[in-house]
Amino acid sequence: MHARLRCSAVRGLSSAVKASRIYRPVASQLPCAPIVSVSTRQYASAAAPSQLTVPKDYVPPTQPPTARPADVRKAQLLRSYTSLLRSTPLMLVFQHNNLTATEWAAIRRELRIALAEVPAGSDGVDISPAIGLQVIRTRIFDIALKIVEFFDPSKVEPTLATTLTGKRVKTVYNHDLSEAAYKAVKEATKDGLAEAKPSAYTELAPLLVGPLAVLTFPTVSPAHLAAALKVLAPSPPAFPAPPRKKYPGYYDPVAQNGLQKLLLVGGRVEGKVFDIDGMHWVGSIEGGLDSLRAQLVYMLQSAGLGLTSTLEGAGKSLWLTMESRRSVLEEAEKGPQEAEKTES
Amino acid sequence: MITRFITDVTTRFNPFSPRAKAARLFLTRLPPGARASGMNIATQLLPRTSTEPSSLHIKFKDGKEMKIDCETMNIKNIVEEVDRHSRALQKADDMAS
Repeated sequence: MHARLRCSAVRGLSSAVKASRIYRPVASQLPCAPIVSVSTRQYASAAAPSQLTVPKDYVPPTQPPTARPADVRKAQLLRSYTSLLRSTPLMLVFQHNNLTATEWAAIRRELRIALAEVPAGSDGVDISPAIGLQVIRTRIFDIALKIVEFFDPSKVEPTLATTLTGKRVKTVYNHDLSEAAYKAVKEATKDGLAEAKPSAYTELAPLLVGPLAVLTFPTVSPAHLAAALKVLAPSPPAFPAPPRKKYPGYYDPVAQNGLQKLLLVGGRVEGKVFDIDGMHWVGSIEGGLDSLRAQLVYMLQSAGLGLTSTLEGAGKSLWLTMESRRSVLEEAEKGPQEAEKTES
Repeated sequence: MITRFITDVTTRFNPFSPRAKAARLFLTRLPPGARASGMNIATQLLPRTSTEPSSLHIKFKDGKEMKIDCETMNIKNIVEEVDRHSRALQKADDMAS
């Protein structure tokens, strides 16, 4: 009875999911151990332990695998978003209002062309192929942002788990889909958004409304950001649209229609949230972070120079005064002696 | 939502304000070819520090202007309000043709 029930469950599944190549071996392997033991009335202890081990591709009948492809599975999507949020220091958030597929293609094409023309940074690595504009699922992105902000995987306590051999071992479950992550997020946002401690999430949360797309950069590169802003959200005079003669594709009606429906609402730079003006400011940093660092070094050096010269100045002037006084005194001492000499 | 009879949509909002939600969602309700079919859509984003309430102005083909209060109305109410007038226009249009 038991075995038959399982069989029907498995058969029902395979017909529903239509992925017979996964389930057939499972269906053939699964009931064999219980059937043999029941029909011949063997005791469990008599059976060899190797027969009782769960096969690697075992699929529990009560928790069937999803029929969705892996890349659109919500759990997988959430993990990809958390990984994206952890790895991208510079992110622009756009609202897209009913763009068609051809318009998206045109916008991505123009963006790719504009980014390819930006010279590589001082380290010689061209990041432009890694910059991508992707449409996100807003609610899942919101949850991923919460996990990234409020959950610290290094602080999860290990729990006891039973292995297949019955041993109790300490294991840390600190992945983004773990219970610990869920509890941390719930705890941080239990009193509503207004009561949650101020963080990038509480600032960014009002933006996460409606259909969104994010443009992500692997490093903070103001030059690439400026190029992207010129294409996606031009605002003369600082960020003029690409010239018509050089980039006729940008003035294609399809691309222009798409750009009109794309709305830059904000961005995040190294954990800080900026509005459009803030993004323009970041994009207008000449020469990138290296030049900022050089400016800082120059400022510190010149300040040091000024300080040492100031500190030195007092000593120097004292020394000069004393020296001049000494020479005066020496001359005064010499004076009478010389007079005596001339007399004698 | 019936968008055939809308000629102008003007919105102003600060995206960092939670009250801007309705105005932003209204923009997403407009069809992909809205601009191509002659609708003027103007969106102005306010800076983050702005406390100006988000606003939505809609003009219809018959000249009626609607000034919608996005602070208190949610997207459902806005769509209802816009459709109420659009349906009347549609009815008149159907009778004429």
